[in-house]
Amino acid sequence: MEYVLTTKQLSKYFYQKKALDKIDINIEKGKIYGILGPNGGGKSTFLKLAAGLLNPTQGEIIIDNKNPGVYTKSIVSYLPEINYFYKWMRIKDALNFFNDLYADFDMENAEKNIEFMKLEEKEKITSLSKGMLGRLKLTLALSRKAKLFLLDEPLNGIDPVSREKIITSIRDAFNKKSTIVICSHLIYYIEKLLDYVFFMSEGQIILAGGVEDLRNKRSMSIDKLYQEVFQ
Amino acid sequence: MIILLKYEIYRRWKWLAIRYAALIVLGFIFFNRISSSPMQYGIIAESMGKFFLVSIVVFIIIIIEGINMLKEDLYEPCGYLTFTIPQKERVILASKLLLLFIQLGLWGMISIGFGSIFFSKLPYQEISRVTTQIDSSLYPTILFILTAFFNFVLMVHLSLTLTKTLLVNKKYSGLLSIGIFFLLAYLIEKFYYGPFLNQIRHAYIEFGTASNINVLSGGYTAVFLNIILTVVFFTATAYLLENKINI
Repeated sequence: MEYVLTTKQLSKYFYQKKALDKIDINIEKGKIYGILGPNGGGKSTFLKLAAGLLNPTQGEIIIDNKNPGVYTKSIVSYLPEINYFYKWMRIKDALNFFNDLYADFDMENAEKNIEFMKLEEKEKITSLSKGMLGRLKLTLALSRKAKLFLLDEPLNGIDPVSREKIITSIRDAFNKKSTIVICSHLIYYIEKLLDYVFFMSEGQIILAGGVEDLRNKRSMSIDKLYQEVFQ
Repeated sequence: MIILLKYEIYRRWKWLAIRYAALIVLGFIFFNRISSSPMQYGIIAESMGKFFLVSIVVFIIIIIEGINMLKEDLYEPCGYLTFTIPQKERVILASKLLLLFIQLGLWGMISIGFGSIFFSKLPYQEISRVTTQIDSSLYPTILFILTAFFNFVLMVHLSLTLTKTLLVNKKYSGLLSIGIFFLLAYLIEKFYYGPFLNQIRHAYIEFGTASNINVLSGGYTAVFLNIILTVVFFTATAYLLENKINI
């Protein structure tokens, strides 16, 4: 099995608070993973560590056989939950920025996706609604030919119509050479995409398994299982 | 590096254009005023004073902006965009400092350019009096001041980066940054510039003006000391950004 991301006893503390506690995760190439759990469970911290924005307190995170750094940033496409664009940007500027700074950015595909997402290139990012912003972030993140996509709450605050568009985009962007990790607590929408799930709470993995296996063993959907686990 | 510099300029090009255009336009307005009022030294002096006041305001804006260039990326959500691009953090930092360097250079050229023109309009006796005061220490003094302000920005960058490394949330970060800044300033004065200035004072007392060095500038040696400090601050900030910080 070829792993694109591996962690060994990965821990992240913020002072006394354990955001992640000795996590061991192996993420296989060519699969879609879901990291599911309530807010504050450590999902975003995990993605930020993988994106190279945080440094581990203990343990190790390996992406494509390298520690987080310039190389891993060149193969990881990270979509944060927040609006991370510069205030001066228009959609066109954001496209150019990604095109200039990421060698794997596919401008042609991005322009098609912008149209599909019903966004206007000349619009200022500060004037976009939350749904439009979510669609733009996803378009940019998925227009890279990255080995690993890290999507943090891609459906948060998004209206149902946009959610469907986002799900379609994620499905279209996925191919067997890439891997997608999605953090979310909106399981109902993403369940159909996932191959494997980690249930995360208080910085620890409390349940993990293949989606089909879990459904068969527990005789319930992942959404129901989530509600049962985190009740 | 050039692409990053392009985006640093692009981020603030309107303000950059306004700032330098204002300085140049005001320079020409004062120049016209001086040219149309020959021998009216009151008007010349007033115009010169106003121009230098504007020039100092622009300089302060450049310094504040130099500080904010990194502060924004450390404390605002846009830092996620900046620090996930596949570039070494030292290159990101260098692009910001390069813009600061270019800005200070442009400011220096415009200010000194107009300053020289205004000085040339002063009567002969006044100029000769000024030029006798301006000896060979002028250029190292200007260089010293510019590198000192450059280091001031870098020292603030280091303080902010160290604060962000130690404290994740924004609460108390301002206070800690200020504390670290003053601690650094104290240590540098005590162990770096202090002994050097004592040597200069000693030489000045011992050999007087014949030594051709003065307490203010310390000649090119002081500039050299500043450059060493620039390298130290840059390396320390880049190290923290690359290995320790949590965005």
